[in-house]
Amino acid sequence: MDLTNAFDELQRNVNADIDQVTLARDRRDIFKKAFKGEDDVLEVFGSGSLARSTQLRPVHDVDLIVVFDGDKHPGWGAPGTSAEDALGHAQDRVKALLGMADGRVDQLVRLAKPRDRAVKCFIDPPEQDDAFTVDVMPVLRQPDETLLLPSKRNKQWNTADPEYLIKEVAAQQRKWAFFRPLVRVLKHWRLGVPTKVKSLVIEVLALQCLPTEGNRQNALKSFFTSSAVEVGYGVEDPAKRCGPIQPDLDISILRTALEEARNLAELACAAAADGKTDEAGMYWRDIFGDDFPESSSENHVGAAASAAVVTPRVVKDAPQG
Amino acid sequence: MGAIIALSIGNGPVIPTPLEPKNHFLCSGDTCSGQLWYRADPDLHAMWWNARRLNKACQLEAFKNCIAGGWRNPPSTGSYLALTFSPDAPAKFPDVDITEFAAWLVTAEGVTPVAVEVQSSKVGMAQLSATWPTKTMSEISVLVIGLGSIGGAAAHALAEYGVGTLRLLDPDRLLAHNLVRHVGPPEGVGRLKVDVIKQQLAALRADTVVETHPWDVIESAHLVRGLLLSVDLVLCAADGVAARRVVSHLARRAKKDAVLACVLADGSFGEVIRLRPWHDHGCLVCRRATLADKGGIDPEPGLDAGYGTGTTHRPMTAVGGDLHLLGRLAAKTAVATVLERRGHTDQKLPGEHLLLALRPEIGWAPPFDLTRNGETRWLPHTPPRPGCPTCEPA
Ligand SMILES: [Zn+2]
Repeated sequence: MDLTNAFDELQRNVNADIDQVTLARDRRDIFKKAFKGEDDVLEVFGSGSLARSTQLRPVHDVDLIVVFDGDKHPGWGAPGTSAEDALGHAQDRVKALLGMADGRVDQLVRLAKPRDRAVKCFIDPPEQDDAFTVDVMPVLRQPDETLLLPSKRNKQWNTADPEYLIKEVAAQQRKWAFFRPLVRVLKHWRLGVPTKVKSLVIEVLALQCLPTEGNRQNALKSFFTSSAVEVGYGVEDPAKRCGPIQPDLDISILRTALEEARNLAELACAAAADGKTDEAGMYWRDIFGDDFPESSSENHVGAAASAAVVTPRVVKDAPQG
Repeated sequence: MGAIIALSIGNGPVIPTPLEPKNHFLCSGDTCSGQLWYRADPDLHAMWWNARRLNKACQLEAFKNCIAGGWRNPPSTGSYLALTFSPDAPAKFPDVDITEFAAWLVTAEGVTPVAVEVQSSKVGMAQLSATWPTKTMSEISVLVIGLGSIGGAAAHALAEYGVGTLRLLDPDRLLAHNLVRHVGPPEGVGRLKVDVIKQQLAALRADTVVETHPWDVIESAHLVRGLLLSVDLVLCAADGVAARRVVSHLARRAKKDAVLACVLADGSFGEVIRLRPWHDHGCLVCRRATLADKGGIDPEPGLDAGYGTGTTHRPMTAVGGDLHLLGRLAAKTAVATVLERRGHTDQKLPGEHLLLALRPEIGWAPPFDLTRNGETRWLPHTPPRPGCPTCEPA
């Protein structure tokens, strides 16, 4: 198998199941339709990885942002209990519009529970593993186009710009058709890092460090090189609103994992440049695990175990002064 | 040796084609008119190439037959220079290096090919763009603090790597006794060192924009803080411990990488330290304290006497070539640092602290126990020490 096909197969293995994505979109659209009919709602749109098309299988949650009309909720946006009020209002509306018992638009939601920033709406039974949920976040639009997000816990509202990330990812995708697919591959890769890494961390690192040209192998090598350095400076909200994305991130463990991936990618690219496709594939399998297809002629020796897969190249005596 | 400084077509007006730069040595040469240019058949340029290879002249008649028009015979006892122009020549002879322009000395006895050099319209770093990330480099900005012998060489090297913007910071003027080691020329004596370097780079490396700040890094720390916001990295080649500590502190607070270069032990060793503002990497003071605890280095006496009270300028014990070598190594370290962060895998460094033996003698404590000239040693970073006012969050 050549590397292009191997990467295509990795991609298929990583991509969210298309039926699941369709189902998630359908459910999101029912929520959209329901809230768009409300007279105190100005806009409804998806955020999160589904909206950025960087979702990883399996899809079991969808984020929905509902922009309410501040004029109709004059207390909202102020510190204190108004954050909780907004979440309570959203909870009531979900029940009235989509509640399983007597939803006016559809009967979809078994349980709607306000969390810190959003109302978690269970469509599957909540006790089920990976229960499908829609997170409905009530927000206000500010004059500078940014959003005010409630935090029940902190009794305040924070400025955020979730649309920024959506736009940035879309812009990178326009430059390079492999951008979103590779973000999914990298989010999948992070699941093997021996510490918890939020998927948004990888998404932001990809925006900073994933090239938007060339072939996938070199782009990944460049990503691992760049992000192994970049994590040292901290991974922050790219819209520069919310500070560190994951304050409890163990940077040293993530850096080590990125450096190991970088070293393997370097070997893989060198092997590929040497025409040794099978060996290159072995290194990529060391990075991505079983989702990267095994080459037919591979003799099941881990690439890392066999040290000299790349033939040393001899320097030509063609001096340049 | 000559250059074309004006040309005309037929009896048309004479159009000046001034030489660049304006202080080019041929600008003060004699002017002579009466030379000619012709449009020519591509075959003539193949003849030029061949005649130069065989080192022989061509026949006047053969030359004349290849000229498109406006032919003028040479005087019976003299000569003129002819420039021939054949835009199709390179395409007609793709296997050999046949050029659009050729030059000749035309006499009644024969026509001798003359070497001609055409200045390309493609100049500067862009010529290297196939193999060097010139565009990325052109977007990089580096603050160089200290433009002495090391810093001056570092500034030159940074420009040679294609750094787009250099901000130079040093309050000192170039003095006569500096010349023995500094990259600055004798005519620069009395000028600010930052201006001397700026002028040199304007002439040599036009791709690099140079800004000057004739400030002392310690006295103007508040201004340096602002400058740091607009740069990718700071390279410090300042004398003395205090200035280096200030740079280490300010760079870390600004979340910028710093590269510090110096020579130690009267020029026995060169040292390049990279400071990254990472949570597990210590600042300069922490690195030095760790090294001192291991007996590797002796803190400078009077170090804690406060800013500006310690000795600053070192005596001249190192030679210019070694100082320039250090400046260039520091520049290479700086460039590797910014390029690795941008995904260039070939820019990884072996460590965070380079020692280079310049004039090693036996008997120095580790890690300075290098015994052979030119020997290098890369050391890792050391972690922040508890209670460090630089490393702990403000
Ligand atoms: Zn420190």
